[in-house]
Amino acid sequence: MCLVSRPPRSQEDGAADLELVRRVAAGDRGAVDDLYQRFRRPAFALARRVLADDVLAEDVLQDVFLSIWRDPSAFDGSRGSVASWLLAMVHHKAVDAVRREESHRRRQARAEDDLVLSAPTQTTNVEDTAWERIVAERVRTALHGLPAPQREALTLAYYGGYTQREVAALTDTPLGTVKTRMLAGMRRLKDTLGTGLPGQNLADGGSR
Amino acid sequence: MSAAGGRHEDRDEHRDWDELAVGWALHALEPEDEDRFAAHLATCPSCARTAAETAEVMAAMAADLPPAEPSEGLRDRLRAAVEVTEQLRPQQPVRSALPPSVPAAPRPALGSTGVRDLRAPRSPRVPDRRPAWRRVLPTALVAAAVAAVLSLSAWNVVVTGDRDAAQATAAQQEQMLDALLAPGRATIAPVEADGHTVGTVVARADEVQVVATGLPVNDSHDTTYVVWGMGGEVPVPLGEFDVVTPEMDLRTVGSAATGLDEFSRYAISIEPGRQAPSYPTEVVAEGQVTS
Repeated sequence: MCLVSRPPRSQEDGAADLELVRRVAAGDRGAVDDLYQRFRRPAFALARRVLADDVLAEDVLQDVFLSIWRDPSAFDGSRGSVASWLLAMVHHKAVDAVRREESHRRRQARAEDDLVLSAPTQTTNVEDTAWERIVAERVRTALHGLPAPQREALTLAYYGGYTQREVAALTDTPLGTVKTRMLAGMRRLKDTLGTGLPGQNLADGGSR
Repeated sequence: MSAAGGRHEDRDEHRDWDELAVGWALHALEPEDEDRFAAHLATCPSCARTAAETAEVMAAMAADLPPAEPSEGLRDRLRAAVEVTEQLRPQQPVRSALPPSVPAAPRPALGSTGVRDLRAPRSPRVPDRRPAWRRVLPTALVAAAVAAVLSLSAWNVVVTGDRDAAQATAAQQEQMLDALLAPGRATIAPVEADGHTVGTVVARADEVQVVATGLPVNDSHDTTYVVWGMGGEVPVPLGEFDVVTPEMDLRTVGSAATGLDEFSRYAISIEPGRQAPSYPTEVVAEGQVTS
């Protein structure tokens, strides 16, 4: 499925990431620094998007990298890349934090913004590298290629941290329809982006 | 709708699970769905693949966000925290002198089963001639302090919802961490009142710090707390300090004396006036050097 499009992070990146996690597992404190250096920007961008608060976002990053140090064996190489594992952890903790912290009122108010923002965000292109721009452009194009209701459901869940039931309420859509849209949108993005597991998928006996 | 039951009989029997797999990876399931799906996931390679692929797409979506750089302070804080945190399963056999390890962190969203193939060969260790407790206790103390401070910080933010306050708290924590991590030997004595630990005395050769966790705020106009070195013939006043917040706080005790780490016990008293008397009036907390 990814003959034409290149995955956002190359195979070499993936191998280097894996090596970093191995070093962490070997008790090398400096490897946590290197992992941080590698992932701090997408991790921070994601956490602050979900939390809308830089201080809380930094707390989430600290929590994530420290827990990687404490228990690197939580990473399962047969279940995907280091990048997806790490960013999923950032997302999970950020969403937990936003659910803990946000009052119902604030959340309702922010939902308005999130509906507007469910269109892909614009990058400012100030500091990002050329490669990051290319990646962002590919993702944006892929998101734009989705039918609007699918894009809306996925971005509300991912960037907004809303549950499927909350997305259903926000978009005035039956819960079953929201679930179906998320699955359909994800499948389509996966095919467009070629972000299946590197090389082959697990059903084919995925080895890595 | 029922998740596992097929709306379309056999043909799409698995479709509902696929939907849950996407929602699960997105951390967007309701609690009851999450529990049900977690049980199913453990036995379903197809759902594991869907969840993993969803996580890959999510990682790509993170690329389409305004670029953002965390503060330099975060790198330093992370480094300091890593420095004082032990790994969950140490590569070395655990010595009996080691304190209990830090509790496990919550597992990440992708409920990956731990694998052991990341195990690395043992790294050689430089022999350390200090007694075992001196090596491990500061680390254990600071790790506990860091954990406590982090939970306090979350609480503060919830209560105040105030960004400036949150930043001030973070800066304060950083200072506390730096002070506790000052290089050199330190003697640690948790002090108790009525069976509860209300503080920890950290005595160094030329400085005493008190991490106050449960001492009442004193009236700093006409009372003072005093740290006493115990174990000799008479208690030795080491210096005065005030408690200014009911929350965890690090107080450095003003003292020009040296050899402050020589005592086997430490006590804290509350005194009328602003000067340490020659003998403690009312000891409010006391504790032995941990060994």
